[in-house]
Amino acid sequence: MGTQDLVTLVPWTFIAQICNLFIQMWLIKKFLFKPIKEVIEKRRQLTENEIKGAREAKEKAESMKKEYETSLSSAQAEAADIVAKAQKEAQGKADNIVKEAEQQAKGLMERAEADIEQSKKKAINEAKDTIGGLAMDIAGKVVEKEINENDHKKLIDEFINNVGEAS
Amino acid sequence: MNFEVAGSKIYYSIHTGIPILGDFNITETLVVSWIVMAIITLLCIFLTRNLQVENISKRQAVAEMIVEAAHNLVRSNTGGTKFDWLIPLVSAIFATSIVSNLICLVGLRSPTADLSTEAAWAIVVFVIITACKIKAGGFLGYLKGFTTPIAVMTPFNILSELATPVSMACRHFGNILSGIVIDGLIYAALAIASSALFGLIPGAVGDVLSQIPILSVGLPAILGVYFDWFTGCMQAFIFSMLTIMYIANAAEG
Repeated sequence: MGTQDLVTLVPWTFIAQICNLFIQMWLIKKFLFKPIKEVIEKRRQLTENEIKGAREAKEKAESMKKEYETSLSSAQAEAADIVAKAQKEAQGKADNIVKEAEQQAKGLMERAEADIEQSKKKAINEAKDTIGGLAMDIAGKVVEKEINENDHKKLIDEFINNVGEAS
Repeated sequence: MNFEVAGSKIYYSIHTGIPILGDFNITETLVVSWIVMAIITLLCIFLTRNLQVENISKRQAVAEMIVEAAHNLVRSNTGGTKFDWLIPLVSAIFATSIVSNLICLVGLRSPTADLSTEAAWAIVVFVIITACKIKAGGFLGYLKGFTTPIAVMTPFNILSELATPVSMACRHFGNILSGIVIDGLIYAALAIASSALFGLIPGAVGDVLSQIPILSVGLPAILGVYFDWFTGCMQAFIFSMLTIMYIANAAEG
């Protein structure tokens, strides 16, 4: 087994090493660069998609928020409106009820007053008649003289009227 | 005591009968080159096993870092993505060079300690340089480039053009070979020193101990950090950088 010179250019070794270099280049490309590049590219796409998705979700959320806000404010306005209307209605109803009640009370009072008045009149008339008859009897007995009944009646009525005014 | 540094061994010789090329010798250089290629390829396969898009393993992180580093090195030195086709070549040269340089640490002979290896790489780079120059300025423009700035400079220009691959190859080769020579010298010197020192011990003990190069333990390892590790990494980097620089310059015209 020989050795070659320490510093020498061996043509076949030279050619073989050129081939080796290109083979090595191809091997590195195939086994290191290609798979790594693929995985990096995949990751890049994934990240891009995720960013895109996030952006879309954010936009959607923002539009939804705006929608909700507008609907919320309109709902608030509506609610306020409803409350105001209800208050007004209630106020009106209450007023009506009070008025009605007042009217009713007034009517009742009037009727009661009328009843009282009538009763009073009736009682007075009855009393008048009774007192008139009584007075005539008394007077007839006291005077013991025949008087014109008509004159007497007139006289008694006058007396009773005077009594009624005085009482 | 004699000390000598031999060239790479010839394991097997295939007789071809082709005049200039001569016999095809399976030398240590070639065999170790194949081992180096196998190591690099297996490492690539190992690093890119079970790749994930998310939640990556440490191994994948290293692989991605290597690829990124290769891209960054080429892109930052050429300015842009115009030279991305160069990345696999530069990576191959760098990887082969560094593994070849460091394989001497396990006792094998570096393929880079054979001028044919570096010459092969340098010629590939030279061909690419020339191709880029022709592509940039046309064939006539390429020839015209030799006469600048004045026609008298033509021989020097041609010389400097040829000096590029020669200097690249010889720089790398010289550094690695010098490492081997220095390592060999230190080992030999320490063996002699060891035998002289322990030979002072009288009797049979001295005879036995003087046969063992005890002083060779330790010091060569420390020197090896510079001559093997540092030089090995440095030369791989320099060769790769020069490849990028020369080709980028050539393409600019």
